[in-house]
Amino acid sequence: MGGSISKMMAKIFGSKEMRLLMLGLDAAGKTTILYKLKLDTDVTTIPTVGFNVETVTYKNTKFNVWDVGGQDKIRPLWRHYFSGTQGLIFVIDSSDPGRIDEAKNELARIIQDREMKDALLLVFANKQDVNGALSPRAVSDALQLDTVARNHTWKVEPSCATTGEGIFEGLAWLSQNVKVGDTSGK
Amino acid sequence: MTTVLPTRPHTNSTGTSTSTASRHRQPSLSSFPSSKRTGSQSTHADSTSTAYFDAHSATREHDFARLRSSNNLTLPERNSAIDGATHTAFARRQRRVRSQYPANSAEKHVEYILVASFDIDRGSIMEHQYPGAVGGDEHMLADLMLPDQTHLRSQDWTTFFLHKDASEEDDERTRRRKRRKRRKAELAGAHDDVEAGAEDDGADGEEAESADDESDDQDFDSEDELIDGPPLVYVLNLVNTKQDHTVKRGAIVKAMAICTRHSFLHIYKPLLVIALEQYFANPVVETLATLYDAVNAMDLSLMPKLNFYERFILQSSDAKDLFLEKFEAIIAQRMANTDGEVASLPALSPTAPLSRSRYGLPRDTHEFESVVRYANIPVPVKVPTALSPETVGDFSLIKLITTFSTPHSTSPQPLTPFHPHLTTAGSLTHPVIVLLNALLTQKRVIFLGHNLPSSEVAEAVLGACALVSGGLLRGFTRHAFPYTDLTKIDDLLKVPGFIAGVTNPAFAHKPEWWDLLCDLGTGRMRISSKIEQAPLTEGVLYFQQPGQTPSAPSASAGSISAIAMAGASLSAGLGGSTTLMGSGAGDATGDVAFMTSVLKAIEERHGENAIRSKFRRWVLKFTRLAAAFEELVYGTSLLQLAPSPKTPSTPFSPSAKSPDSQFTSASPAFSRSMSMTTASTTTTTTTYNPEASASTDILPPEVTTHGYVWPSPQSKTNELAANATRIEGWRSTRSYYNFIQDLTAFYTRRPVQGIDLQHLHDKLAKLRLGTTASGNVYLAICAAVWSDEEINQLLAVIVNGTSLSAGTGNGGNSSGMSGQAGQGLFYLGAGLFHPKRDVREGVAGLLGRVREHEAGRHFWKAAGGFVRGAWERVVAGMEGRDDEGLTGGI
Repeated sequence: MGGSISKMMAKIFGSKEMRLLMLGLDAAGKTTILYKLKLDTDVTTIPTVGFNVETVTYKNTKFNVWDVGGQDKIRPLWRHYFSGTQGLIFVIDSSDPGRIDEAKNELARIIQDREMKDALLLVFANKQDVNGALSPRAVSDALQLDTVARNHTWKVEPSCATTGEGIFEGLAWLSQNVKVGDTSGK
Repeated sequence: MTTVLPTRPHTNSTGTSTSTASRHRQPSLSSFPSSKRTGSQSTHADSTSTAYFDAHSATREHDFARLRSSNNLTLPERNSAIDGATHTAFARRQRRVRSQYPANSAEKHVEYILVASFDIDRGSIMEHQYPGAVGGDEHMLADLMLPDQTHLRSQDWTTFFLHKDASEEDDERTRRRKRRKRRKAELAGAHDDVEAGAEDDGADGEEAESADDESDDQDFDSEDELIDGPPLVYVLNLVNTKQDHTVKRGAIVKAMAICTRHSFLHIYKPLLVIALEQYFANPVVETLATLYDAVNAMDLSLMPKLNFYERFILQSSDAKDLFLEKFEAIIAQRMANTDGEVASLPALSPTAPLSRSRYGLPRDTHEFESVVRYANIPVPVKVPTALSPETVGDFSLIKLITTFSTPHSTSPQPLTPFHPHLTTAGSLTHPVIVLLNALLTQKRVIFLGHNLPSSEVAEAVLGACALVSGGLLRGFTRHAFPYTDLTKIDDLLKVPGFIAGVTNPAFAHKPEWWDLLCDLGTGRMRISSKIEQAPLTEGVLYFQQPGQTPSAPSASAGSISAIAMAGASLSAGLGGSTTLMGSGAGDATGDVAFMTSVLKAIEERHGENAIRSKFRRWVLKFTRLAAAFEELVYGTSLLQLAPSPKTPSTPFSPSAKSPDSQFTSASPAFSRSMSMTTASTTTTTTTYNPEASASTDILPPEVTTHGYVWPSPQSKTNELAANATRIEGWRSTRSYYNFIQDLTAFYTRRPVQGIDLQHLHDKLAKLRLGTTASGNVYLAICAAVWSDEEINQLLAVIVNGTSLSAGTGNGGNSSGMSGQAGQGLFYLGAGLFHPKRDVREGVAGLLGRVREHEAGRHFWKAAGGFVRGAWERVVAGMEGRDDEGLTGGI
């Protein structure tokens, strides 16, 4: 429902803007996803010190994507990026079931923050190209999204950052579901 | 001038060679913590100093005797120009030049070397600290060393400051106080030290040195480094990111930092580049140790120490040989000591010139060149001779100004919201003025450089501190965070009026975190929508009263703008109206003309130094306006040194400063008292005779006034009204209280106490005075300025000039000595044409003293044939009269 209205708005105003925050444990593939979005090529990344931020335009929507380093020590900083965020992209390394519990705890902490109450939640079940990767269903179960994110609009998108599979589909979903009137980008 | 040299080795080598033998070795790297030094080393220090002191005072006594006799023999019975010169020449000969960084100082150039790296699992971690842990939060330190987005570039520099914690601070203060007390006792009350806030050299390990120096050569400079708390530790940090496919996730990120108390930390850049490279190859603590030893072996002991006015004069000048005499003298002192040590022939022997060339004089006295040997590479370093407070590292004001000026001049954007402290000329106030206003009124300022190296934001922060300080105001670097990031935000927000550099655009989205956001990427500034409103204060209200409403000289639009600027309760509509006027009538603060002159100077490539001088004068003028403002509104002001003509220590009562009672400053006082006695016995007064009136302490009214000089009362009201809001904003800030504290400490130490020298010089420059009034002003200046220190102050006054934007039309050169602001000696030189002969001759005498002064001679050279020709005529006239046997004036 909201989707059709926002499409209409996009037609009237030409384009809209959306602020996205991309988080996840270290080495989940956040920076690779960001530069796949930005440059549409597979770049070799090194650990992010601090953050990356890029503006990506896709299907008439300007996405302001923040990719924040995932090391244990710097996770407390994530909260500083919450305010004004319209969509959270949470990236899971589906090939590493051993850390899914850690990811679940981090996600629960983020999504239940007051400043994130209106944010859409897109989970990339990343690294689907690796043999034995968890399925999207398994990921959503492991993250307990039904309870943790019950007040949010959410989706789990299977993805492979290096090939780009699922990435743009995820963006399209965010673009369609962003709430009208919340498109200031502020 | 250089004739000072040959006499030095003679006088010194007799008694001092053994006692000072230990002074000129390479830094001893004594590992004693400074707190323990008090007991064990002080005896040694005392004995050395006493020995040196005695020998030296003996020569001094000798010189006095000579001086006295020479006076008796040759002084004609009048107040002569030539005699004045002789006096100062003698006075100068007494002085011993001190080193800024004595070789025996226990204070190290570099205190710590640190290495941090980015661990792919744990984030930023500290790998090594040498020679020990800095203390404090190690992770926070490591975070600072690995700036945001460092993974995007192979190399980046950051700067940040460390503050010592309170317990250490107390410790240090107690130690200082003890030391000062002891020194006082040694000197047996020989001089009036200033307690309040005054520090000694700030160098902990300088005890031996300062003890004898202070008795040897009491300048007021020994206390001019006023510090509000323990000195900061400056950290220069280099971070490298190396792609390496052999390691997990493909890269190694490491950073190395040097922690020093020197504000010229940029000299260590080449060394850090080499050392970090070495550390990548050899990641062990020994790599740090080698660097630590190398930088601390750097010899700066031949860098002479300058006092407040000397530093200022040097900074304002482009002359490459200014104060070369001091370099010569310090080399001569070293040679004298060395010669003594190796038991060679006394100076004047053929070896002397040889060894002098070995030490080498600087090509440009603004810098001292030295060498650090590290990793078998001799790395040349250049240390600035004259350092200003609040000037840290290398930055470019020109770059900072250009960044924010260019977008403003090509497509100005109105600033909203309006804030009376910031937008002092309406919504189109020049961004650099907005920045100055924000810093003066202690707003929270953030420099954001998204996608820029963190070195750029750090430079902007350091530049902003220097910009607003002007070398006069303090309290900015102490609250500056040249590079910081989100990890420190909670602590940052506890600091009122911080100045911070960040690369993370997240800060832009948080207007509650800052008052002014300066975006280095776009060159635009933003005033926070959540900025606290300025309170409506008494001073602002004062200028809103009907009687005080300033009426602008020209159009009615002008008066609107003046009121608008004074009013705190200004609507956006009025702010718009001021923008219509642009420059000209609407420029009640003079800032538009000032910025025009700055940009013109940048365009004409006058150089960084000239631009810094311009802002220094802007800040100085602001403080003087604030003083006048306070006197007008509140009846009194602590912001200026009002003349104190009635205290016994004024130059007008020579008896107060006799060579015996005030040993340490004896020579200038002595020379003055001599000349005054001779003068007052003979001069038959025409209008006003400062020496004669000294006895009765009556000065003519035109020389007892003080403060800023306006051509008319209306221009005063207009200018103060235009500045009212930001002055009121400044009056509750740290820099305001620091300034008062500095002035208070400086009060008793200022060389010229009886008159407001700057005020009188401004009068000559700005007002059309009658013959009598101008004559009195000239005579008062001539009577007050005799010693080297007093001449230094006069030269500083000349450099400070009178007008900020004057001289923009004719461009002029960037040197403060001749052109631009101060017009050099022009206004003093005009006194050579005064109708009254005693004025002409008095001025000739003064200029004669300036001509012989080590800095004054450069001003004299720049003065031009007009002044010099007139001077020669007046002097020739005086000599001619002597030949005819005439004495006394007419």
